[in-house]
Amino acid sequence: MQRMVFQRIIIGIVTLWVVSILVFVGTSILPGDVAEIVLGQTATPESLAAYRAERGLDQPMYMQYASWLGGMFTGDLGTSKAGGASIASLIGGRFGNTMLLAGVVALISVPMSIVLGLLAAMYPGTWIDRILTFGTLSLISVPEFFIATFMVLIFAVNLNWLPAIAHMSPEDSFWQTIGGMAMPLITLIIVVAAQMIRMTRAGILNVMNSPYIEMAILKGVRRKRIILRHAFYNAIGPIVNVVALNLAYLVSGVVIVETIFAYPGLAKLMIDGVQTRDLPLVQACAMIFCGTYVILIIMADVAAILSNPRLRNPK
Amino acid sequence: MTDATANTEETTIYDELPDAPPKKKLTLTWVGKLGVTVVVFWLVMVFVGPYIAPFHEADIIAYDSYMPILSTTEGEGFHLLGTDYIERDLFSRILWGARTTIGIAFTATLLAYLVGVSLGIAAAVAGGWVDVSLSRVNDAIISLPSIMLGLLAVNAFGSSIPTLIMTAGAIYAASVFRIARALGQDIMVMDFVEAARVRGESMRWIIFREVLPNAAMPLATDFGLRLVFVVLFISSLSFLGLGIQPPMADWGSMVRQNLDGLGYGSYAAVWPALAIATFTISINLIVDDISASSGGSLAKKMI
Amino acid sequence: MTEYKEKTPTINNLSAADQSMVKSGLSRGVSRRAVMGWLMAGGATVAAAGSIVSSASKAVAATPQKGGTIKFASDVHGPSDTLDPGLNTSTIDYSRGRAHYNGLVQFNDDTSVRPELAEEFSANGDNTEWTFKLRKGVRFHDGSGLTADDVMYSMGRHYGDKSTSTAKTLVADVAEWVKVDEFTVKAVMSGPNGDLPKILATSQFKIIKDGTTDFQNPMGTGPFKLADYQPGVRSLHTRNEDYWRDGPNADTLEIFAITDKVARTSALLSGDIDLMQALDPKAIPQIESAPGVGIWSVASGAYIGIAIMGNTEPGNNPDFVLAMKYIQRREKIVRSILKGQGTVGNDNPINVAYGEDFCSDLPIRAHDLDKAKFHLKKSGITEATIQVAEVAPGTTDVVLLMQREAQKIGLKLNINKVPNDGYWGAVWMKTPMNVTTWNMRPTANVMMNLAFAPDAPWNDSLWSNERMGQLLVESRAVTDPALRHEMYCEMQTLISNESGMIIPAHRNYLDAKSDSIEGIGRMPLGSLGGYEWPEFAYRTDL
Repeated sequence: MQRMVFQRIIIGIVTLWVVSILVFVGTSILPGDVAEIVLGQTATPESLAAYRAERGLDQPMYMQYASWLGGMFTGDLGTSKAGGASIASLIGGRFGNTMLLAGVVALISVPMSIVLGLLAAMYPGTWIDRILTFGTLSLISVPEFFIATFMVLIFAVNLNWLPAIAHMSPEDSFWQTIGGMAMPLITLIIVVAAQMIRMTRAGILNVMNSPYIEMAILKGVRRKRIILRHAFYNAIGPIVNVVALNLAYLVSGVVIVETIFAYPGLAKLMIDGVQTRDLPLVQACAMIFCGTYVILIIMADVAAILSNPRLRNPK
Repeated sequence: MTDATANTEETTIYDELPDAPPKKKLTLTWVGKLGVTVVVFWLVMVFVGPYIAPFHEADIIAYDSYMPILSTTEGEGFHLLGTDYIERDLFSRILWGARTTIGIAFTATLLAYLVGVSLGIAAAVAGGWVDVSLSRVNDAIISLPSIMLGLLAVNAFGSSIPTLIMTAGAIYAASVFRIARALGQDIMVMDFVEAARVRGESMRWIIFREVLPNAAMPLATDFGLRLVFVVLFISSLSFLGLGIQPPMADWGSMVRQNLDGLGYGSYAAVWPALAIATFTISINLIVDDISASSGGSLAKKMI
Repeated sequence: MTEYKEKTPTINNLSAADQSMVKSGLSRGVSRRAVMGWLMAGGATVAAAGSIVSSASKAVAATPQKGGTIKFASDVHGPSDTLDPGLNTSTIDYSRGRAHYNGLVQFNDDTSVRPELAEEFSANGDNTEWTFKLRKGVRFHDGSGLTADDVMYSMGRHYGDKSTSTAKTLVADVAEWVKVDEFTVKAVMSGPNGDLPKILATSQFKIIKDGTTDFQNPMGTGPFKLADYQPGVRSLHTRNEDYWRDGPNADTLEIFAITDKVARTSALLSGDIDLMQALDPKAIPQIESAPGVGIWSVASGAYIGIAIMGNTEPGNNPDFVLAMKYIQRREKIVRSILKGQGTVGNDNPINVAYGEDFCSDLPIRAHDLDKAKFHLKKSGITEATIQVAEVAPGTTDVVLLMQREAQKIGLKLNINKVPNDGYWGAVWMKTPMNVTTWNMRPTANVMMNLAFAPDAPWNDSLWSNERMGQLLVESRAVTDPALRHEMYCEMQTLISNESGMIIPAHRNYLDAKSDSIEGIGRMPLGSLGGYEWPEFAYRTDL
């Protein structure tokens, strides 16, 4: 087991490196460079050349990558090619904000989804199942910007209960922060819970279909015991996978929620980085996202193996 | 112990070894039938929508933007669902949009499944270095946010429909891969697969007769959700000002473009959202019925 | 100049007793919402009550009040935010710059200029030398005094190979900056230019401290000091107690962006921000029907343009360009897309906002499909592609409308929508047909010189007309108003008839604010009164 985790960590580092190559190539093929974008409409060839020289953009691309990689090994994330601020300072506060939002959403949505998914699987075809199915489907089938905007109109504009934005000023009191985060939280819980509920239900029903469960039913084992001890146990593999993917999404993919609520997080920062072709910034975000993902899937795989003894000793 | 008894015993063991679960007859509940009706309706609209729509999707003809439902523009016609932000007939655009939205979503999801399932099952069955290398490349793609990959693709290759399909297909193939691989791994260590191996069945037989049928149901559930995600992915690109080329109608972009109307009582963003919802919910209701009629039937016995 | 007019009901519509009740309520600090409640209980609609309270607040707050926080949300921010004046390109940069720095001179609402850090400025007889005498006793935020060296350093950053300035071409005709004494600098021009002070009043020419190279915490002389600066998140500015003139009105400014336009409008409506830049014209009814907020629309010369490059197909065919000019539905664009917050364009970058230099004698080109069809047929072109990015609000919609009109005359106009990022570097001036936008410039001459002079680096339709170049230079030295107007008219006629630039509409700077904020100007060179608000805006609800 320890050996497997150790191997996974090594493999994870390889994955990080593959991501950095992908990001490097992806960013390099985009039209325009950071100088053209920062200087915009009123750039001249001379000012572009001056800007590139000043920020080291006149070096060949592979050299820029090499110097970034060198910096990574010494823990230096470099400076933004666009604004000149240090990447560490750009990421600093946003990292905490992102982890806070993702953490709270996960704490609420993961247990909730698993319980609701179990419920739906225990009573398939009943009204509980129907309501859950219809509810989750309705909520995920509308774009999240629609849900978010709709909530803002009701709770911020019309009722004036909650602030329309959550931009996490240090001057805000604890309750102001909580109030500001309420709507981003709800939006994200809706987005991730629906998929987790449905996959939990499907995973368990799939196991219920297996012959050994049928055997257990024939042997007269009690229904609750079958689902909770046998079916759920065996469905953990696929379920933790879906949970891991959704948690990774909460860290890296919530750009729409961050934009609508002006929440300073990492997802929007990376999009900004891509839009300004700010390679070191994009790389730094990619490393964080990929690192988070690697850790989450290692945990998912460990959970899957622990839950299924047969995976522990594969032939 | 004689040879004869041993032989008898062996035969008995073979008989008692579980086989793949038997195929069950598909029956739909009324909910499933409702789903089928709605999906069929939209599929028909994919083909006939543009011909029965009162206006062309690009026609800027109405008297005003955000006209309410059931309004009329003198000399031009009647707007069943009112007009959108730039004075186009909303009803016509929803009918036209069926082709774009459903077409892209289906094609991209199918592509994602084709690639994701075959590679995922291959990784699970083959194991070893095939699994490790496929999984690492897959991890690299999946660990990056999909909207960023979409942004990269659209910036680099433009936002033509084939580009969008390939992009969405590639992004979601990665997710499908993970699920297919996890399911495949679980199934590969199940008794009936081991039994099949002991019986000496070929790997091909095991994949098509044991692994795929058993992975089908969770994958089908995921297919329904994945379809929703493709629709939402395209609309999230429109949030960044990318996505389907104007003036082409696409439900997700229509929600985005008319969103500000919500603030003062226009439902122009609600109708395309409803179109997305009816279509995607119906697909998923059908999927649910399929899964209920296989696995669920057993569980029902216990209630 | 069309200016937005206040909604009709005001405090004067009320009876004298009601007036005094509302006014005394407001001056006692009763909340706006409560006062509106009184009015609505008396039968007023939400909108009417809102505008009555607004007008009452104005009457109560005749003089600027000191104190309070003003929260401003712009439309774009990100890691590329900069406090380097020379790299300023976005509203958020300009606004922060205005709070943090001063210029030598500054704009009045009518785009004339008045002294700022230069307490006096003057030109020699033929406008070939400009002298600026600096105010004494001005201090940077670190306490050091302002001298000519700081000005020399600030100006020097716009010259030479190492300059990254986005405005260097604007001052390229200054041959040399000379330090005359500790408090006097002189600009020696390479030719006569009476507009130099107006150019120096723009954002890029703010005065920074001599030797500044790090722009994470630079020193300025402006009305606010920097308390917190996180690019792409926000900046916080606190009152500069040592300010050289009667300081700013607010105690604190918080400047950030809400990039989603719908969310930005919602934040204003919910009271989470006080000022917002770039209101979507579609949201005007929403703002107008809500209590306590109003739109701030300033007519300007800013324009949305469709550039048909003259060096290649189809733009090298004058008949095609003419056909494209005739299919523009100019009034409809102003009415439907800009929702009235703009003026009809005449394929001429200069409009009424430029005052006397505008050639009003030039008839507006009418929407004429017959003429368009005739010219298109003559050109023999049946298909064309236009590259579109949403470079200004409504740009895509203008092109969508154009596409439908093109279809009516038998032209298949393909639209290729491309992302905004990278547009200026990779698409604009590099593809045969694309969209463009220009903000209003301080003078008609500066505007035309930027985008229509034969050798201008940003001549976006690559239209090269010798006569145009000649007129641009000559008109700068002309002092006779009649002759000057004649020359300006000739230039505008040339552009309108012959260039490959289609200008269907000029857009207003359309922003919105809370009714409890006053002191926003109407200078038409940028959002919210040309970004001049940070020092002068004040709260009326303190």
